[in-house]
Amino acid sequence: MAEPIVKIRELTKLYSQGEIQVTALDRITLDIAAGEFLALMGPSGSGKSTLLHIIAGVDRPTSGQCLVQGVDVTKLNESALADWRNHNVGFIFQTFNLIPVLTAAENVELPLLLTRLSRTQRRKQVETALEVVGLADRAKHLPRQLSGGQEQRVAIARALVTDPALIVADEPTGNLDSHSAQEVLGALQSLRKDAGKTIIMVTHDPKAAAFGTRQIHLEKGELS
Amino acid sequence: MTIPTFILKNALRNKRRALLSISSGAVSLFLLVTLQVALRELTLPPQSAGAELRVAVRNKISITNPLPVRQRGIIEKIPGVEAVTPFTWFGGKYKGEEGMSFAQFAMDADKLHSVFGEAKMNGDGYEKFNATKDACVLGKITADKYHLKVGDQMTLDSTIYPGSLSFHIAGIYFGTPDDRNMLFRQDYLDESIGEPGYVGMWWLKVKSADDMVPVIKAINAAFQNTSAEVRAESERNFQLGFISMLGNIKTLIASISTVVVFTLVLVTASTMSMAVRERFRELAILKALGFRRRELFAFILAESFGLAVAGALLGIGGAYCLYTFGDIGKMTAGIFVSFEVTPRIMGVAALVAALLGIIAAVAPSLSVARMSVVNGLKTLD
Repeated sequence: MAEPIVKIRELTKLYSQGEIQVTALDRITLDIAAGEFLALMGPSGSGKSTLLHIIAGVDRPTSGQCLVQGVDVTKLNESALADWRNHNVGFIFQTFNLIPVLTAAENVELPLLLTRLSRTQRRKQVETALEVVGLADRAKHLPRQLSGGQEQRVAIARALVTDPALIVADEPTGNLDSHSAQEVLGALQSLRKDAGKTIIMVTHDPKAAAFGTRQIHLEKGELS
Repeated sequence: MTIPTFILKNALRNKRRALLSISSGAVSLFLLVTLQVALRELTLPPQSAGAELRVAVRNKISITNPLPVRQRGIIEKIPGVEAVTPFTWFGGKYKGEEGMSFAQFAMDADKLHSVFGEAKMNGDGYEKFNATKDACVLGKITADKYHLKVGDQMTLDSTIYPGSLSFHIAGIYFGTPDDRNMLFRQDYLDESIGEPGYVGMWWLKVKSADDMVPVIKAINAAFQNTSAEVRAESERNFQLGFISMLGNIKTLIASISTVVVFTLVLVTASTMSMAVRERFRELAILKALGFRRRELFAFILAESFGLAVAGALLGIGGAYCLYTFGDIGKMTAGIFVSFEVTPRIMGVAALVAALLGIIAAVAPSLSVARMSVVNGLKTLD
């Protein structure tokens, strides 16, 4: 097997709730191969979102290691981590989280504002990303002019516009009807198949998880 | 899209709030400029062309105490003195008005040109003033205000002397920093009140600027230990002495200005806090996408600064246009004859706007900086 893109070793995350300490993740060890579509399942409070956040570099573990493409994201300072996220991770959220005053194209362009790309280059990449998700004709639409499924596909375009190796999706179909959910999951599947992206998706839904190449379950902070 | 476009779209996402915020800034800065100009006009009255050669002589006890006529001969003999005229406050009310809307002074007609030479008159105003005992000359502002012209008669009821006096307008003067006063002849006043042998003040002109200090010293010394000791001073010092009596007004204006600035800071800070709180989720997303604290701070600062600058442009620009191109005499019913919005005042107001733009951005920026991406994202679900 090739070197995994994500390598997690003895990862523990403890939260303090007043005087009580809650174990969100308990010495997790996990490898995720490049090009994998991993469905991370588990009940609420099982720690799946926490694990996703640590892999994506938006949260820090209490102990343990989390290497993504060889970089231990737990060791990076805040500024370096922000830069790393911009180049290496694409985010997809349950509630789409598009900026309402920006058009679909402008929303997709947002992560590119941090790069040194010219305006023309940025526009080209945005067009490509929107084409990938089948929304090139909706480039100038504001989020409120799009359906939920279309909004989530714009979010997918935003996640892949910087061409990251890793895409993390936190309940991406949680707010969608079944038809839109199928569209979004299909788009994610295509990203893995056609673009070789590694996708980690948190979901409650077994039907959504079935789109993944592997499913793992978390229960009370432990892999089951 | 560029970063400035992104900032602009964010700033204008709630157009009504942005408009109200800019308007509140504009109104406050307009008020601040107005107060500062008023303060300047009160504390630094405009100086007339001949002021550097003029000396005001008043009773040392109080300006309301008169001076004996016999002092004139002594003053005239002091080396360096070119011309002397009495200058007596009449305190008249015109057309039964409640208050005095313009000042009236009695003086020597033949000294008007030599002492107050900057007053210009068309036609034979000076000659008529010299020739006719009940003649008066009137400042253009007052003449315009009451639609008075040369040849008209006007009657004033004095609040100091018994009865009324009627005058014929011999000329309308202009060209002084305050073309509002009415000047009439001291001999007419003396005659009407029975030659009391007193005048209100002396105003004199010295021959050169070098004579100013020696003349002032000589006048003060000449009447020392007499029944009417005097205080001679340059016109500028005389004006500033008046202004020192406005101490409370200065404090009041300064206090109002402080309140205006403080309110402005609160309004802008509150607007920015609301704007950022509404967008907390989006800012967390931006952080997740790779935007750093400093970039988010720059966004918030630019937005806050932009609102403040827009308010400043409207408020300061509005004040400048109104006071530069408007008729301040009409606007203030003659209270102010000039109302100059100086570059310094505009600069101070712009600085206040810039500072409040920065201060208003501090609190929301700190809360965004402290926000962890996870906590920000948690507000999403």
